[in-house]
Amino acid sequence: MKLVIDESRCKGCNLCVLVCPYGIFQEGTELNARGIVVPVLDRPERCTNCRLQHLYGRVLCGLCHMICPDQAITWVEEKPFEPHRVEVEF
Amino acid sequence: MIAPDWLREDRLPHIYCTGCGNGSVINCTLAAVEEMGWKRDETAFISGIGCSSRAPGYILTDSLHTTHGRALAFATGVKMARPDFNVVVFTGDGDLAAIGGNHFIHACRRNVDMTVICMNNQIYGMTGGQGSPTTPTGAFSTTTPYGASEPAFDLAELAVAAGANYVARWTSYHVKELTKAITTGMQTPGLAFIEVRTQCPTNFGRHNKLRSIPDMIEYLRGNAMLRVKYDRLVEEGADIPEGTFTIGELVRRRRPAMGVKQ
Ligand SMILES: Cc1ncc(C[n+]2csc(CCOP(=O)(O)OP(=O)(O)O)c2C)c(N)n1
Ligand code: SF4
Ligand SMILES: [Mg+2]
Repeated sequence: MKLVIDESRCKGCNLCVLVCPYGIFQEGTELNARGIVVPVLDRPERCTNCRLQHLYGRVLCGLCHMICPDQAITWVEEKPFEPHRVEVEF
Repeated sequence: MIAPDWLREDRLPHIYCTGCGNGSVINCTLAAVEEMGWKRDETAFISGIGCSSRAPGYILTDSLHTTHGRALAFATGVKMARPDFNVVVFTGDGDLAAIGGNHFIHACRRNVDMTVICMNNQIYGMTGGQGSPTTPTGAFSTTTPYGASEPAFDLAELAVAAGANYVARWTSYHVKELTKAITTGMQTPGLAFIEVRTQCPTNFGRHNKLRSIPDMIEYLRGNAMLRVKYDRLVEEGADIPEGTFTIGELVRRRRPAMGVKQ
């Protein structure tokens, strides 16, 4: 699963920035085509729900999805073999 | 998780301002509906007039967008004609407590089986920020330019006194707790009243030095106090800061109810 922000709905309120316990959402800096500064994702692979939803069979955390007043944040299934950024922590 | 096919996707993005709390309340309601396993053709969303009352327009079920303040009267009618329907009312503080005040207390007294969700932003949002019966003392609005001089209504306590079977209060920041409260309200026979303190950065925030969204959230979060803690402080005789409101479940009881599904 991966986290996506629907740019056609987001109004740039940054409530997700306020609630994500991992700080995945960061305030954006660039205007999009609708004139809105959409938050950017910082290493979204850290999201618990993306990693563990299938394993637990239920939604974990999900605060961003619930608080987003514009219904713009969801998770989508990844295509097989989608390129990933892998971070190795020593 | 928001019930996936209940949103009218073609209507989104909705008209609410950036950072308005009403959208989060829609999410919580749809998550509660998902948990209840209700069917779309057995559910009706009913509302009056106001920003909050536009919510049923974004939900793909039967809905009534009625005259200002009369949502509960229409909802009572729906429930009496079709007791098999699940009825949910979305309303605002102005809609429920000002022009619709009498409908509110009598619906609670009759204990009609429905769920009433009041998005209390402490202001008339849609019409440009006039003071409402829930505007806190001292707060500024276009009709209280020197600060409101009247005391405010406590809607949840009002519902308790008037006889609703389930009463809870949360804020639009407490999404998980709010979802749980709405679900419990939907399960309880009789009238369930859930007051949600929501942020209105555009009209309440702008007049009260809370223009930014984090400031508005902090205002809600900082003034909210769990009911248990509040009761304990009262018992101890400790000082309770000005502007504090209680959150949590205020009442759950089994008074006789009207229109309960058989
Ligand atoms: C009979 C009638 N009187 C007055 C109005 C004007 N009016 C429209 S919305 C509104 C206030 C709504 O306030 P509230 O219920 O708090 O909703 P909010 O916009 O704050 O969510 C008023 C007074 C109206 N539409 N109909
Ligand atoms: S005026 Fe206030 S209540 Fe209405 S949409 Fe804007 S922020 Fe929300
Ligand atoms: Mg209002």
